[in-house]
Amino acid sequence: MKRSKTTSPRPQGRAQGRALALLSLPVFAFLVIPTAIVVPVALNDSRYITFPPEGVSLAAVQGFFEDHAWTTALSASLQAAAIAVVLGVLLGATAAIGLHGRKFPGQPAVVGLILAPMIVPTVVLALAFYQFFISVGMVGSIIPIGLAHAVIATPYVYLTTRASLAGLNPALVRSAQSLGAGALSILRHVYLPVILPGLVSGALFAFSVSIDETVMSLFMQSPSATTLPVKMFTDIQFNLTPKIAVSSAVLVTVATVGLLLQVIYVLRRRSTARMLPLAV
Amino acid sequence: MSQTTLERVRPAGRPTPGTSGGRPRRRSGWWLLLAPILAFDALLFLTPLGKLVGSSFSDNAYQRVLSDPLVLRSLANTLTISLASTVVTVLLGYVIALVLWRSGTVMRVVLFAVVLLPFWTGILVKNFAWAVLLQDNGVVNSILQAIGLTDHPIELLHNRFAVIVGMVHCLLPYAVFPIFSSLASIDDRLALAARSLGAREISIFRRIILPLSAPGVSAAGLLVFIISTGFFITPVVMGGPGDMMIANQIDYYARQLTDFSGAAALAVVLTVLVSILVAVYQRVLKAGGQHEAL
Amino acid sequence: MTTSVISADTTPGAATAARGSIELRQVRKTYGDVVAVDELDLVVQPGEFVTLLGPSGSGKTTTMMMVAGFEEHTSGSVLIDGKPVDALPPRERNLGVVFQNYALFPHMNARENVEFALRMRKIPRAERRERAEAALERVGLGGLGGRRPRQLSGGQQQRVALARSLVFNPAALLLDEPMAALDKRLREHMQEEIKTLQKSLGISVLFVTHDQDEAMAMSDRIVVMKDGRIVQSGPPEEVYAHPLTDWVASFLGDTNLVPCTVLERHGSEAVVDLGGLGIGRVQDRGVVGERYAVSIRPEHLKFRPGAPEENGGTGTMVSSTNLGATIRHRITAGGHELQLRELSSESTGRSGAAGEVHVGWDAANAQLLVLEG
Repeated sequence: MKRSKTTSPRPQGRAQGRALALLSLPVFAFLVIPTAIVVPVALNDSRYITFPPEGVSLAAVQGFFEDHAWTTALSASLQAAAIAVVLGVLLGATAAIGLHGRKFPGQPAVVGLILAPMIVPTVVLALAFYQFFISVGMVGSIIPIGLAHAVIATPYVYLTTRASLAGLNPALVRSAQSLGAGALSILRHVYLPVILPGLVSGALFAFSVSIDETVMSLFMQSPSATTLPVKMFTDIQFNLTPKIAVSSAVLVTVATVGLLLQVIYVLRRRSTARMLPLAV
Repeated sequence: MSQTTLERVRPAGRPTPGTSGGRPRRRSGWWLLLAPILAFDALLFLTPLGKLVGSSFSDNAYQRVLSDPLVLRSLANTLTISLASTVVTVLLGYVIALVLWRSGTVMRVVLFAVVLLPFWTGILVKNFAWAVLLQDNGVVNSILQAIGLTDHPIELLHNRFAVIVGMVHCLLPYAVFPIFSSLASIDDRLALAARSLGAREISIFRRIILPLSAPGVSAAGLLVFIISTGFFITPVVMGGPGDMMIANQIDYYARQLTDFSGAAALAVVLTVLVSILVAVYQRVLKAGGQHEAL
Repeated sequence: MTTSVISADTTPGAATAARGSIELRQVRKTYGDVVAVDELDLVVQPGEFVTLLGPSGSGKTTTMMMVAGFEEHTSGSVLIDGKPVDALPPRERNLGVVFQNYALFPHMNARENVEFALRMRKIPRAERRERAEAALERVGLGGLGGRRPRQLSGGQQQRVALARSLVFNPAALLLDEPMAALDKRLREHMQEEIKTLQKSLGISVLFVTHDQDEAMAMSDRIVVMKDGRIVQSGPPEEVYAHPLTDWVASFLGDTNLVPCTVLERHGSEAVVDLGGLGIGRVQDRGVVGERYAVSIRPEHLKFRPGAPEENGGTGTMVSSTNLGATIRHRITAGGHELQLRELSSESTGRSGAAGEVHVGWDAANAQLLVLEG
């Protein structure tokens, strides 16, 4: 036989497959390389930012963690993320359960309102929050930044929770109610086990959204409330320093862990569709 | 007459609030679950936005802002940069979506992860990495010099090219998913049928795959364009002074000029434009038969 | 197999290799350790309508996919018009294929769908159009060429698929369960139409189905497949009347299977022990002492006025169901549940309440079958 074996009748031939693979290689490289160089750059044994690195050293990492300005920024970011995750999970999950299997006039409007923060450009929200928190006298702390992050993180939790509820038959809940189960017991025994994966996934999203958010944090920054991305953004405009590299490496590590958790989840669920609960 | 109709129309299972009994208790209870988010969004989303819109109508802001040549320039920049980024993103996204579509299950998950890695990485980290790669003594310049394309470093950073590179990198995942889902919805047998009818692979792509994935392409294009109009960080980090986009202009009005009404007017203009595009996007999704969240 | 196999030294263009023949020689397909199709030999003669009949997983669709070139066989050879096509991609095999859900291109109208193959063959626009219209006319869709597939009914879509697969004068036609999506009435109508079309074109057809009625109605020859192998092959009447094994008998139509042991042989006749049904005589030979099954089709089982001495017995009625043209009775006799089918017009008037009944069959209508499954 002239042709080699094909295991399945894929829609395209082998030569075309190879051509496509060749064509896509630079595109995948384009996607991966920038993220991949971040950690090596942070471990570079040089006072300047170079890639490829000249040697391996933890000097920059040490410098980062000894610099009060940077560690304060890191802790500010974590505080904001904590507020965003807790509020996001509570609000997103209750909304998803409250809307599960219900139809009422004005429901599309409620869903639209819940999802709207994803659509409004962050710079617009940043300006709105900036004005708003000044007008109510809430500036100079991390709390307004955390609240702002919660606003944009909540829709993600809502969507992941809603996705995990998709398989739950509302009739099942009604039957639990007809058997005399109370509201709290239904939440705990019927909803919680079903939405748990969605909650975890949503919490990861909320954390990721908050830890990377720059524009709103920038508008609302103050000396006592400067997040890691804001510190990076301010410094990067002057120079590319090893501490920015370390900060980037910290964020990339966080992202990779989040992604790995997500991949494990997907592989266990055997559905790539779940990888991104929202198609945006 | 109208009153009796109302009485009849009201479903038996949805009594007026306050009615006692077993079913009504359940019916009224679930509102409690929606109360937190409604209160939260009303206070921290609608109120700030409402104040923003309100302040945009003071001080003749719209007229003032829209006659500012800097604003007009940033609007033009936003349009051209977003268009260029969208075209490049959709082209590259199509290639990735095709590879994903053709891969086996395990490979597909791995490649999905590769596509999602930049999605999970913050924009500032990505831009920093690009700045490292594109700087004068960066690796891209080293390669260009090594293969003899140039004998001195080329200015790759702080220009429009760099802005588009940085934006495309951020936007790619958003293009891949709609295109992939429209490819995935194509019946495999169509390609088999075309092959049995005498089509070569290139004709199958051009006459079957490409037209059938067109809805995904237009959805991807719109989505990417919508997102790119709001870019703020990348023009600052990777662009030059002439590459400021509308978001940077809003920042400039708010924090440099402390002209809040002007900034608010610009913000309203941007939001209205984006909302129109989102409405079009949803139409495209419906027409393409894709049911997606947004 | 009764048909003559084209010998290996047949030269192209020789009479036996006339246009439209399909031949599989020792074709085998494995997926890892799983054998999907095992050393299959099969010939479709020019103009012949051959049906691959089998349950799902029997390898019939895989076999068709290998003929079309969508699946590659692990070993063996496929010949079309006497020439090996193992190295040819599907587009060069010149076979018309109709898929289970027709696989019509949804973004093209009916005429563009039909024209597709001609476009791929770089035929000028005017001729393309003319031939496509003629093909649509031929399947009774004249004037509907401008409709998109989703604007057509299931039956119309199937006609478009047929026209599309015939318009380029293929060597043969491969049909993969093309009627699965149609309702019963339309299915029967399309069966007749496809058969008529095939006769008038004189084209060879390899047809895949799991529907035994469809196979009976349409085929010149039925090839029964099970577990990747051919179990039996022959004209439909022959396979129905003389199944080789108990599995074929029960797969192709209803039958009563009674386990038995051969007691003795007289010439071409065997005397068997039917257990609770006593002694039977069959026109087959068998090996004395071996276990077999006797198969009696429900229409061959008859009510008898008195208890038969052999080839039958006495039992009780369980139920009677009027199916319109026929009545189906269920009877337990000698520890077996038997099915008896009689024409309504010739009904003896017995029903489920009739109590004790005598049933029997003519020796000529009973078959001794190899036990398989």
